[in-house]
Amino acid sequence: MTGRVAVTGLGCVSGLGQGMAATWAGLTDGRGGVRMLSRRLGDDPRFAMEGPAAFVESVDGSALEAHLGRRVMGQLDPVCAYAVVATHEALTDAGLLDQTALLGDAAILYGGASGGNVTIEESYARLFLKGQAGVHPLTIPKYMASAAVGQISMLFGVKGMAYAIASACASSAHAIAEAMHLVRAGRSKIVIAGGADASLTFGSWTAWKALRAMAPDACRPFSSERKGMVLGEGAATLVLEDLDHARARGATIHAEVIGAGASSDAFDLTQPDGVGATKAMAQARADAGIRLDEPCLISAHGTGTPLNDKMEAQALGEVFGRDLERHCVIATKSAHGHLLGAGGAIEFVAGLGALKAGLAPPILNYLGPDPDCVLPLALGPPCSISHEVLVSNSFAFGGMNSVLVARRFG
Amino acid sequence: MAIDRNSVLDIIAEEALIDPAKLTPEATLESLGIASLDIISIVFALEEKFGLALEQSDLEGVQSLGQLVDLILDRASVEQPHAPNP
Repeated sequence: MTGRVAVTGLGCVSGLGQGMAATWAGLTDGRGGVRMLSRRLGDDPRFAMEGPAAFVESVDGSALEAHLGRRVMGQLDPVCAYAVVATHEALTDAGLLDQTALLGDAAILYGGASGGNVTIEESYARLFLKGQAGVHPLTIPKYMASAAVGQISMLFGVKGMAYAIASACASSAHAIAEAMHLVRAGRSKIVIAGGADASLTFGSWTAWKALRAMAPDACRPFSSERKGMVLGEGAATLVLEDLDHARARGATIHAEVIGAGASSDAFDLTQPDGVGATKAMAQARADAGIRLDEPCLISAHGTGTPLNDKMEAQALGEVFGRDLERHCVIATKSAHGHLLGAGGAIEFVAGLGALKAGLAPPILNYLGPDPDCVLPLALGPPCSISHEVLVSNSFAFGGMNSVLVARRFG
Repeated sequence: MAIDRNSVLDIIAEEALIDPAKLTPEATLESLGIASLDIISIVFALEEKFGLALEQSDLEGVQSLGQLVDLILDRASVEQPHAPNP
């Protein structure tokens, strides 16, 4: 084995739609997946969610259930439903769905900021609102942070090492990075990596509002007058595979994961200091062995919050220096919202799609330049790019940073 | 909703995600793919809809669907079900 890491399968679901084709169309058509959410917990007007969000309207698990020969979707919390349909797509894409022996040896590293939030909220509503004596007996196994990992393992017969990674909004980026290291080290030929999140519950919605982090209108990364983030939900799954192994079995190779960097701010629970982000990006570039003058497509963390975007712009300036104009910055949260634990994965997938298509999905809702965020931004309509390298940033609460680097293949 | 054979079968089909046409009395729980966690969900749904209380120990030795349905209906006939939760 070469220690080189190929991406051989991709799958995702989000407010943009289900599947890679719908996702790419939603990223490039300029409309995005953010709509006005109007939802009530238990149909009670006291518990209303009203505002912009990139929510998943429905999930089609029919192809998965046809493969399994039985129904499963009705038993799953949304976080698991998103994870398994995205993984089904990725494994189908990789040509692995019926490869029992290969899946039996594969590993799973999957990220999530939490677990089955819909399940736990329904259980609490029974206890605290309705005064009922008990909760559904499967509350714990549907709520646990590793619920999606368990479902992926069981439904697809994956019997290698499998665990969940939790680092808030960097969870799935960390999962992909560790998957890369596993394959590089020769510990696994195939790793299913990514993340899922389904946090559009009244409790979560209220908690995000309490942080004063939610925009009242739209997510406008790096724009003047940006007012915060917009919540999303969904999942993204990648199949990472030893390059020689992938070649030997004739798999389609979408890209090569060539590096990763990670750091911790040790500074503040919610406020980034920029030093950790800079360190993670520099580490990732060095790990990938890319030249300092290599033009990069940068998939920014780009939450649309005033402070985060300012910090990220400064950190990008420090790492890429005076060559910044040679690069291209995309910020796809403007289209699919903030997928929290799944954010790093879907943004990496979006960047891989851009590398492969030679097209930069535009940053939506941009109102004008902010002097604190002078960056080579991809502003609509979608523009042609010729970058060979992707740098994908994820910076999480708690000051946990993960940066991934990929190269166009072939 | 009165408890009878059909209503019990409806709950089993719904909770275990099984095609109702496959629910024949002689079918074993194993052949239907009804796992222990499915049983827990079925019992929970019975408690919800009919106020019927079943303990895990009541289900020991139950192997076929017919045995399971008979046990539930037998328990319903000897117990005065308490009012289900709203």
